[in-house]
Amino acid sequence: MRGRRVLLTGLGFVSPHGEDPAAIFEKICLGESAVRMIRSGTPELGADVLLASIDFEPGDRINKADRIFMARAAQMAVVATGNALEDSGLLIEGRGPEEAEVRMGCGLGGAEILQQAYSTYFAQHSRRVRPTTVPLIMASGPASQVGMCFGMRGPAHTYSVACASSSVAIGEAFRSIRDGYTDVAIAGGAEAMLNDGSVAAWQAVGVIAKEHADGAEASCRPFDLERTGLVLGEGACTLILESEERATARGAEFVAEIVGFGASSDAYKLTEPSVDGQERAIRNALEDAELPADAVGYINAHATGTPAGDPVEIEAIKRAFGAAAQGVAVSSTKSMHGHLVGASGALECAITALALHERCLPPTAHLTAPDPACDLDCVAGVGRDAPELEVALSNSFAFGGSNATLVLRRA
Amino acid sequence: MTPYAFLAQVLREKYDVAQEAISLEATLDELGLDSLTVVELLFDVEDEFGIEVPEERATFQTLAEAAALVDELIQAKGP
Repeated sequence: MRGRRVLLTGLGFVSPHGEDPAAIFEKICLGESAVRMIRSGTPELGADVLLASIDFEPGDRINKADRIFMARAAQMAVVATGNALEDSGLLIEGRGPEEAEVRMGCGLGGAEILQQAYSTYFAQHSRRVRPTTVPLIMASGPASQVGMCFGMRGPAHTYSVACASSSVAIGEAFRSIRDGYTDVAIAGGAEAMLNDGSVAAWQAVGVIAKEHADGAEASCRPFDLERTGLVLGEGACTLILESEERATARGAEFVAEIVGFGASSDAYKLTEPSVDGQERAIRNALEDAELPADAVGYINAHATGTPAGDPVEIEAIKRAFGAAAQGVAVSSTKSMHGHLVGASGALECAITALALHERCLPPTAHLTAPDPACDLDCVAGVGRDAPELEVALSNSFAFGGSNATLVLRRA
Repeated sequence: MTPYAFLAQVLREKYDVAQEAISLEATLDELGLDSLTVVELLFDVEDEFGIEVPEERATFQTLAEAAALVDELIQAKGP
């Protein structure tokens, strides 16, 4: 569907690989993993858990008094957005564009705050829960705080679509600009649920990786025969989207262009993926971009490293791409930054944009024994130059069967 | 610590209020505290002094009035 062109003019990160876009992309292309074995939780109940966590400090981006009203995810969202606005040249005296829309993905909101509240009630046997609990646990906290902190007064909407949250947020921001509702949108996602209660809940699902013999860092192994599951990460990522008219008028630099968005639902199982649903999301995205599959040079896969999930995505790509599947490079950068759940789509879309900009394909780290069921070109080990790269996809497939695919083009 | 000294300390350390802005006559509104911030501040005061501020009594404007209310509630609680 044709409409106005939508350009990415800035990226902002709070990621397991740091905040600097160039440094993050370099580490990713070197196959450097941010996954570590970390002691989680209380002395009595805690456990050693594989995580891609962040030693996070908001610094000058958020003053001390404001932090009281922000959960960790919201703080990360604000810092990532400040970084993105600065990167795009839109941060003026601490403010963003007043008319900007904010569209953020978030799965669980202030997970650590909810844990504290339940701890007060159940462990301390007290009803004295902090007054800030409700506004801090809201999944919409990151979007609201981003709007407030930078004085951006367009709609501030939250998309809570599990692992596809921030891909949907970016897709909806893309549509809003393409279809003429706004000229500038701040889109991304934030997730910070590495508090031990949430981690224990994730472990109960049975999808978390076990430590690999090569070390904790090498434990998330999408497409590999020795993969055992996903590794949870945390962080935030914000992308600045602008209409071509607005971006050109102010002489902005382009990171990449967003040219399509496709979504679908499996209507099948809550946690079991479906080839059909994923295939339809990819097809919808390519149709939306009016591009044939053989125009696509790279796919940043959702692939989390679970035994069940990865081959389903490969099969979906094969069906959506047909013969063109043999010519497309596919990789899962979750092997290095882990699964950021509500922030995953944004982080991976940003990495995909950098891949187009730098014409370098990010690898799937630790892919040493490829699974025959994942028999596409999965860019094992380290990054690869791609001088011809023009178009790339970013897939996000969620628990609940919600699928989202973004199409990006070199700008 | 007196209630006023405690209020002043929390305002300085947690809410980044400048020392020179803090006085007995200063209103919480002037110090930039909205209603949720005041409720959060009272939570810390209650914890510190082991009292409960009844919702209908939380009508103070200035730090002097807030401190006086806390004093009164501490006295009412007894030793």
